[in-house]
Amino acid sequence: MIAGKAQGQLKIKARRSMPSFVEGLLYLLPSILLFSVFLFYPMLKTIYLSFFLTDAQGNAELFVGLEHYSNLLQSTAFRTSMKATLLFVLYTVPAGIILALFLALLANQKLKGIGFFRTIFSSTMGMSVAASSVIWLFMYNPAIGLGNMMMKTFGMSEMQWLLSPDTALISVAISTIWMNTGFSFMILLGGLHNIDSHLYESGKIAGVSDFYTLRKITLPLLSPTLLFIVTVSLINSFQTFGQIDILTKGGPMESTNVIVYSIYKDAFVNFNIGSASAQAVLLFAFILIVTILQFKWGEKRVHYQ
Amino acid sequence: MKMKWKVFLLMVVAVFALVACGEKKEEGSGEKSTEAPKVDGKTEVVFWHAMSGQLEEVVNKLVSDFNASQDKIAVKAVFQGTYEEAITKFNTVAGTKDAPTIMQTFEVGTKYMIDTGKIEPVQKFIDAEKYDTSKWEKNITNYYAVDGVQYSMPFNSSTPILMYNKDAFKKAGLDPENPPKTYEELKVAAKALTTGDQKGFSILNYGWFIEELIAAQGGLFVNEENGRKGDATEAVFNGKEGQNVFNLISDMYKDGTFYNTGQNWDDMRAAFQSGKIAMYLDSSAGVRGIAEQAPFEVGAGYLPVPEGTDWQGVIIGGASLWMANGIAEEQQQAAWEFMKYLTSAEVQAQWHVNTGYFAINTDAYNQDIVKTEWEKYPQLKVTVDQLGATKPSTATQGALISVFPEARQKVVNAMESLYQGANPEEALNQAVKDTNQALDMANRKK
Repeated sequence: MIAGKAQGQLKIKARRSMPSFVEGLLYLLPSILLFSVFLFYPMLKTIYLSFFLTDAQGNAELFVGLEHYSNLLQSTAFRTSMKATLLFVLYTVPAGIILALFLALLANQKLKGIGFFRTIFSSTMGMSVAASSVIWLFMYNPAIGLGNMMMKTFGMSEMQWLLSPDTALISVAISTIWMNTGFSFMILLGGLHNIDSHLYESGKIAGVSDFYTLRKITLPLLSPTLLFIVTVSLINSFQTFGQIDILTKGGPMESTNVIVYSIYKDAFVNFNIGSASAQAVLLFAFILIVTILQFKWGEKRVHYQ
Repeated sequence: MKMKWKVFLLMVVAVFALVACGEKKEEGSGEKSTEAPKVDGKTEVVFWHAMSGQLEEVVNKLVSDFNASQDKIAVKAVFQGTYEEAITKFNTVAGTKDAPTIMQTFEVGTKYMIDTGKIEPVQKFIDAEKYDTSKWEKNITNYYAVDGVQYSMPFNSSTPILMYNKDAFKKAGLDPENPPKTYEELKVAAKALTTGDQKGFSILNYGWFIEELIAAQGGLFVNEENGRKGDATEAVFNGKEGQNVFNLISDMYKDGTFYNTGQNWDDMRAAFQSGKIAMYLDSSAGVRGIAEQAPFEVGAGYLPVPEGTDWQGVIIGGASLWMANGIAEEQQQAAWEFMKYLTSAEVQAQWHVNTGYFAINTDAYNQDIVKTEWEKYPQLKVTVDQLGATKPSTATQGALISVFPEARQKVVNAMESLYQGANPEEALNQAVKDTNQALDMANRKK
């Protein structure tokens, strides 16, 4: 509604005087320039390259039209990548957010020494993906890792965490949830702090249960933060690269070869820049659709104060 | 709405202007620089390498020794990440004046480097100077020679080797001085060695080992004489030799005597050192470290072959040094001087004992430091002997294709599918089919 009104006003102004258009453009110039150099130009170039076979330097050499796209849509490898990506998102996003929400609710209590727990819960935020991946790599090591030592003490058989196609993706997902929880926790805790404490007081006076408070006060008022964290987590999850590169390199049997990793491999290991560009375009389209759907669907459920 | 369109149009114009700028730059980059860069009156040679950790220290030592040994050339060694990362960076500057004078590239990047057209074969300098190359280890230089032209200077070369736990051999009642030489012996030994937590044998899920095991039987990887007679068009590693290798892995895995160590070298070595596996294949470059660190006695043996097959030898792995073209003659000459220094017997002896890589100058093995080191680590000598015993042929010379990294991924996929119970023949055929597709794409660009 507001946006529509603003547009209407703009229209009137634009009709009245041209200079204001130029003026507006001048204000926009820095961002237009930056976006053009770092976003629009690479994007158009990527789309352009996706129609070509390239030499090793990434110069277009032979026009092949939509061949890269048709090859991709037919190849089992690309379908495996797609499936791995979707499964990875499914494993990491809901579990990660629920865990972070749970921790944030716990840490939102006014208790002595709660600062200590808040620090612990958000500490993974301070760790780089590379460092945490190496830690997990050691934990998953089948011969000397902590993971199998624990399995043994609990009387279970040893597992080939990252080496079996059945468990590799889940193992990477577990490490990713651990890595991302810190960030989600921080944002959600911030959101919880912003909720007016009067509402809780009123709830207490009315004598409603804790669960009712959570459902009717906390969650609705937290919904803008939740929408934000869901969007960011989704995009992050689609673009996961570091932990895959360090933990599995896309293996075994391409079971963890998510799209972004497959793009990297195609472009910088195999030097098929054309095919990698085509994958990037498909991924872009996919994320775009997901994000639009999410806003369409999420907007209605989000309650702004 | 009109407004939006205007903004949109403007952006499109801006973007096209940018695209046009980008194109122009690419055209201009072909120009040759004739002026050699100087540092304090010395000719500068920039040397990009991919040697990390302890290896980087050794490289830096070699470079500073060289710089101190004369006053005309200043070599600057720059670490550029892994082989893959370094080659990607090289790509972006190849043919411009920012390109390094000397570039270290892994063995499977050979064809790729030749195809870029941004390099100068070192043969030019060998011919110009009538440089005596007879001291060079033929089995190493052969790899980097195509149609009799020496393209790059071998630098760090390694081969695969069978490593085994001598203590475990004794415990299992096997002769610790007599490692298995055939697949049949290997299976028997692995069976005897598999007890409790310990498994008999392992091969890293890495295409290189499969290539080596095929070459040891005299098998080729691709057609056109392993890509040495012309551009390879088809992979042939699913022949009899490849089947032997895949059947061996599949049989042993089903038998429970083979352990899957994944794709990570460190994981594999950790498994060996912690007694999880009793035998495995490693690179000769890792031999010294393992022999030093293992809490038990370590033995080394030649690559096994199936019974009744003539042992052909090994292909060298590792990397070589490439010279850029499009730079000043003076700079190339300076780079050549540095390369000659690196291949001298004294430097190569130092290189061999400090890293475990081969000396490409066979005179190095007569140096005293090598002799004392070999007494301490007899495993090092096994690797050198194995290379010396290799029979030169197109099989042991190694395949020459530009899509090697991709081919290796396909082979690794096939290996991994064996642990899921895939049929070895079908797995291998699939890998060949995928590799052919990659070869086809590469050939179409020509």
